[in-house]
Amino acid sequence: MKKVININFQGRVIPIEETAYETLKQYVESLRRYFASEEGKDEIISDIENRIAELFDEKLKKGAVCIADEDVNVVMASMGRPEDFEQEEAAYTSGTTANAGAGNYTQSAIPEPAPAPRRLYRAENDRVLGGVCAGIANYLRIDPAVVRIIFALIAFGGFGFGFLLYIILWIILPSKPLQTNVRKRLYRDPDNKMIGGVASGLSAYFNIDTWIPRLIFLLPFVLSLLPNLFNGFWWHWKGPWVAFSGLGGTFFVTYIILWIVLPRAVTASEKLEMRGEKIDLESIKNTVQEELQNVKGRSEKIGAELKERSKDVGQEISSAIQQKTQAFASEVGPFAKKAGTGIGNAIGVLFKAFFLFIAGIVAFALLIALIALLYSGIGIFPLKNFLLEGFWENFLVWSVLTMFIGVPIIAFIVWIARRMMRVKSGNPYLGYAFGSLWIIGLVSVFVLIGMISGNFRTKTSATEQVSITQPSTGKMIVKVSDGKIRYYSSDWFDGELPFLSMNEDSMLLNTVRVKVVKSGDSSYHIQMVKLARGNTPAIAEKNAANVHFPVTQNDSVIVLPKGFPISKEDKFRNQQVMLVIEVPVGKKIMIDKSIDWFDWFDINIDRRRRWNIDWDERWDNSYSWRNNVQYIMTADGLERMDKNEEDKGKLKSGKFRLKADENGVEIEAEGEMDTGKGTYRYKQQGDSIIIEKGKKPAPPKSPAPPPAPVQERKASVSSDDGKVEKVVRARAREDLHSPFHFLSGR
Amino acid sequence: MNIENTQSQMRKGVLEFCILSIIKRGEVYPSDIIEEMKRANLNILEGTLYPLLTRLKNADLLTYRWVESTGGPPRKYFSLTDKGAGFYAELQATWNELANAVHALTQNEQAIDTNPNNFNQ
Repeated sequence: MKKVININFQGRVIPIEETAYETLKQYVESLRRYFASEEGKDEIISDIENRIAELFDEKLKKGAVCIADEDVNVVMASMGRPEDFEQEEAAYTSGTTANAGAGNYTQSAIPEPAPAPRRLYRAENDRVLGGVCAGIANYLRIDPAVVRIIFALIAFGGFGFGFLLYIILWIILPSKPLQTNVRKRLYRDPDNKMIGGVASGLSAYFNIDTWIPRLIFLLPFVLSLLPNLFNGFWWHWKGPWVAFSGLGGTFFVTYIILWIVLPRAVTASEKLEMRGEKIDLESIKNTVQEELQNVKGRSEKIGAELKERSKDVGQEISSAIQQKTQAFASEVGPFAKKAGTGIGNAIGVLFKAFFLFIAGIVAFALLIALIALLYSGIGIFPLKNFLLEGFWENFLVWSVLTMFIGVPIIAFIVWIARRMMRVKSGNPYLGYAFGSLWIIGLVSVFVLIGMISGNFRTKTSATEQVSITQPSTGKMIVKVSDGKIRYYSSDWFDGELPFLSMNEDSMLLNTVRVKVVKSGDSSYHIQMVKLARGNTPAIAEKNAANVHFPVTQNDSVIVLPKGFPISKEDKFRNQQVMLVIEVPVGKKIMIDKSIDWFDWFDINIDRRRRWNIDWDERWDNSYSWRNNVQYIMTADGLERMDKNEEDKGKLKSGKFRLKADENGVEIEAEGEMDTGKGTYRYKQQGDSIIIEKGKKPAPPKSPAPPPAPVQERKASVSSDDGKVEKVVRARAREDLHSPFHFLSGR
Repeated sequence: MNIENTQSQMRKGVLEFCILSIIKRGEVYPSDIIEEMKRANLNILEGTLYPLLTRLKNADLLTYRWVESTGGPPRKYFSLTDKGAGFYAELQATWNELANAVHALTQNEQAIDTNPNNFNQ
């Protein structure tokens, strides 16, 4: 009992047994591979398929119900299998195809007695970039894939040296269609496989025992597991990361990529190709020796020819010269033409190479990034404990990492590797699989973003009164404890991220802000507002309440901790602490420089549905302060105690005069200062500095009598308020912009 | 030295010539070429014929035409181009030369005189 399926084969509907169909499919596939490097391969395949379809059609017309196994076998026998072609063509191709397409058929029709002397060419028919690697491989009679991999390694490892070499070879080597002279390629070995047949394929290629590559792949993996075993493996089990970390991970990824990239050796010819002829130093040496022999033979021949020629005289020579020059001219003509287009070619080549180089670097960087990602996975991952809650969020992170990030990187590397090995992507399902995995990853990204931002949706605060005793000196100093609290674990994020430090269990946050307001009564008060976010107001409140920020007091000095810890259970929900210090009128406050230690940042994910209480506006009437400056609370607000010293006098508008000579510097300014209208005089002579400030708020209607040149302008300032002030500003600027003006001064 | 190898090499050398000689007689369908050659006792695999035809076509020696067939998609019929005809003529000349030479050599029963004095005249 056999299943019969209908196939559309080259425009004919053919009922065919399923097993026969499988055989046929594999046969066509093997032909496709066989003719892969042939010019016009699609045409050849379609011709052959057409003929097969025709034969089937005839069979059906004769009354057969469907195409059975034996029919396919008959067709295959008459068309010939790739192995048969190989035998047939082995002798034949060396003579003819090398010259196919060239005009000089007459010569090649006579079979050459010895194989043409080998030269280094670029392979015209088998190339990724310029065919240099395939050419070298052809010359050395080895698999182009091997040369390509070596070249890629040199190119990346040797900082462009290999790349440069490639370009040079590209430009100088002539191009020529080369028939592959290697019957050896890297395959996966399906007969001898344990997982994917990669190791057995490698062993067949390099002619070594299978266990060697297996051990190489497996050993680092096992070694990375061993320490875990001794450490109490089950307690430290970190999930699938174990497969990705360390050397074992590199080999693991390599194995997977080779698995995807290498074709499976299915047919007999492929299996033969897989084992192929031995390549080792011996065979390469033989090749080189052969070449040297050739050169020697040729030079001897030329020498003999010359000798013979030298015997001849007169006419012989002249005719020979004439002939030679003609030949030379005819040879040089096209060559010169070629050289002309050669420059254009070289530029094109350079451009192409440049882009592929960039693509290669990108691929390489991605590979490194993937490895780095895998390596650092464990290092970064404590962070996830503070962000994520519940099984689903953790699950989604995995899904994002592997599918959204990992899959495209692997896909890209596979693509590059495929190009390098010149393997046709035979399996479209792989692309679909990659695509759908990535889509899943993409969905995971959105869901994860939604979930995490949900965790930051609402913000609430919890306010508590900090009990303090009133400082006896009438002055309060606020500073940060200089004790060292630090969680040491991974030192990755020192100072880079908004939290101080963290280990696997807790994280130290320093999102603290100090605000100063006026006290309602005659004593200091401190209020602590703890803020946090959460999915619901209740959760946010709970998160806020869990913040522990103990403030201590040492008479007048209020000491704040360096930060507040949050545990893995609390999660990071943008917890913040706002310290509101109420200062009574007439009392002083100084905030120490150490307060700079604190940081403040706001994660506000959901702006639309913001039903937060207006916790910030409540403290809008707070005063701005600078650290390390003493302030006193007055009825009007906070005021600096050290004003005079600080007040250097900033000229907002007006004019100034600057005089600098060997005696010292003298500056005179007059106009709108930041302290109001007035004059300012700075004189530095030798060691002494004199600062004079006339804080006369120049009355608009009583012009003061300052020095003469100044007065003219002054007058215009004070005469009218609005318009003229602009003029003065312009003048002041004019003064500024012409250095000679005020240098020449009085 | 493998006898089969030498034999197949001999056959291959004239394969193109034979195929061109069939095509020269008029438009042909590839499987007719196979038939023709089979009749002349020159067996080749169809799978090697198609690539060869494609190569010759790409070298502008052959051209083809789609011909409608009864029941089935159109078929490719091959014919010689002018260049192909010239090419064939050259091949024929070479073949004649070669055949004569081979014939002369293989039919010559006379023992070779190895005396060097008689050789360089």
